[in-house]
Amino acid sequence: MDSVIQISESNWHLFLQKISQEMNVYVPVKDHMHIDYKHFDPDGPEPEYNHPLPVTPLKLFFLPVKENVVIHEEIHNKNLIIGIPACDLKGLELLDEIYLDDKFPDPKYRENRNNTILIGSECHDILENCHCMTYGVNPCPDVNADATLVAMDGELIITAKTSKGKELINKCKTEFPVSGPASELLELAEARRSAVLERLVNQNRYLPDYTSSGELISRSDEAIWMKHARTCVSCGACAAICPTCTCFLLIDRPDFEKVRQLDACQYPGFERIAAGEDPLHGKPDRFRNRYMCKYVWKPEKFKALACTGCGRCIDCCIGNISKNKILAELSESS
Amino acid sequence: MSDNVNIYRPLKASVEKVIIESPLIRSFVLVPEHDFSFKTGEFIELTINGYGEAPFTPSSSPLISKKLEITVMKAGYVTEKIHQLKTGDVVGIRGPFGQGYPLERFYGKEVLILGGGCGFAPIRSLLYNLIAEKDRLKKVILCYGAKTPEDCIYKPFVEELRKVDKFEVLQSVDRADSTWNEKEGVVTLLLDDIQVNIPESVAIVCGPPIMMKYGTFKLLEMGFPEQDIYLSMEKNMSCGLGKCGHCMMGKYYVCKDGPVFTYAEIKDQAQIWL
Repeated sequence: MDSVIQISESNWHLFLQKISQEMNVYVPVKDHMHIDYKHFDPDGPEPEYNHPLPVTPLKLFFLPVKENVVIHEEIHNKNLIIGIPACDLKGLELLDEIYLDDKFPDPKYRENRNNTILIGSECHDILENCHCMTYGVNPCPDVNADATLVAMDGELIITAKTSKGKELINKCKTEFPVSGPASELLELAEARRSAVLERLVNQNRYLPDYTSSGELISRSDEAIWMKHARTCVSCGACAAICPTCTCFLLIDRPDFEKVRQLDACQYPGFERIAAGEDPLHGKPDRFRNRYMCKYVWKPEKFKALACTGCGRCIDCCIGNISKNKILAELSESS
Repeated sequence: MSDNVNIYRPLKASVEKVIIESPLIRSFVLVPEHDFSFKTGEFIELTINGYGEAPFTPSSSPLISKKLEITVMKAGYVTEKIHQLKTGDVVGIRGPFGQGYPLERFYGKEVLILGGGCGFAPIRSLLYNLIAEKDRLKKVILCYGAKTPEDCIYKPFVEELRKVDKFEVLQSVDRADSTWNEKEGVVTLLLDDIQVNIPESVAIVCGPPIMMKYGTFKLLEMGFPEQDIYLSMEKNMSCGLGKCGHCMMGKYYVCKDGPVFTYAEIKDQAQIWL
């Protein structure tokens, strides 16, 4: 039972306060209507560990909006990120395939990854657009976390999954009282898990699965993209907030430095070449491109999912475009 | 690639010579800080310090690593700045990137090359390589087209090439003048004038998108199998590393999986002719 502990929330927070001297500790905190990661503050609002869904996708810790990728910074902050949902953890697989490939591993991404401890948390609630299960992602993190956490009734059960996770838990154990997990808490967690699974399945019963979505999108005609792109304003929010969209612009700076800045295929000119030709000139073409990329092209090239069903692209769309409604519409008309 | 190599940091290179090829096209002989090797058809990213970066396939011989030459048409934001380069200026280069021409698949065959405009740049590099390996080839036919006689580039090279055993050169211009004594019309017309044993041949196409498209269609019509037509694709290759996403062509990252593809590989992908 070494890798699973139960600790009171108050003791855990004392531990976080202590460890904040060594690293940046991020916890999910309610901010107006949303949950988002904030630096742990012992005097701040209580962390909300098992609520979906931090607004900020996990990718931004590894691929910041802007980062100078040429200069080498001697001092690098270590991060401990707590309360990561399963959809974001699953999304790391595509990021790793792209940024840690054999031929050109990205040094900054690798450094950011190596310097971070990830603690996943299971979702005890769902949001309107959550659909991880439809794509085979379990809302209880089972991959890519160094540890997982579940909070109930003032107690936390923390399970280490990797050596980094074990090291952290061991550090906690040496200074604070911990025990093995109480069976009644485990049962309670299991009951909450089952309830969430049932709600997720019910909420998304009209939604095609990942593979079928790809087939439907490939076969679709132009009309549906023209129709749904009408309210798209090419703001790129869907890509910015997506845990698996990672396209970037390389900006030149003096002294041959380069800044990697997150970009989006929804912006006009994304694929424009020198002579002015632009395969994604039309808005419906750009709009469809993102769907093709996620459900058709990426699956042909990578093992990882290119959509993990977080639903943020729907939550954030100021044009009121719902990816899920489009996929359900494609499914219905097929 | 070693852990210590920063894939984004350019290698400095100084401009040794600027060659004016045509009103819109210039070549630049670059001397990198240290030896720089590439295979024919692979490309580099050329950085203008603090300004921008653009992809080019070197036009020089891949057998030389002390220097390299790039040929640039003034077409946009970065290329306009490149055209202002003078001898002694310092630029950055990253690479080489991508998959070049698979020379081993050309051995024992006739090689038909269809080039247009500035698309001659990668082809010249390939031709240097083919000249060095001509004993392993049956023959090489170059069909090159440009808009006008003054837009034809590498004139001294073409004259030298005509003298090389096993190499044939045919040229066309869209609009001829009194100095022109070769074909007038689009480059694909030259294909009517050549003798090629298709089952024993490969075809290579490089040029502006519209020429690539109709050139490929003509080769298919002539009976070239899809897998024997090699295309050097042009997309917005920005990082060169298969990461930034700007050069995606369907499932392919042109910068990493290309830029050289067979038509069979890419025919079903999205917007290949832009």
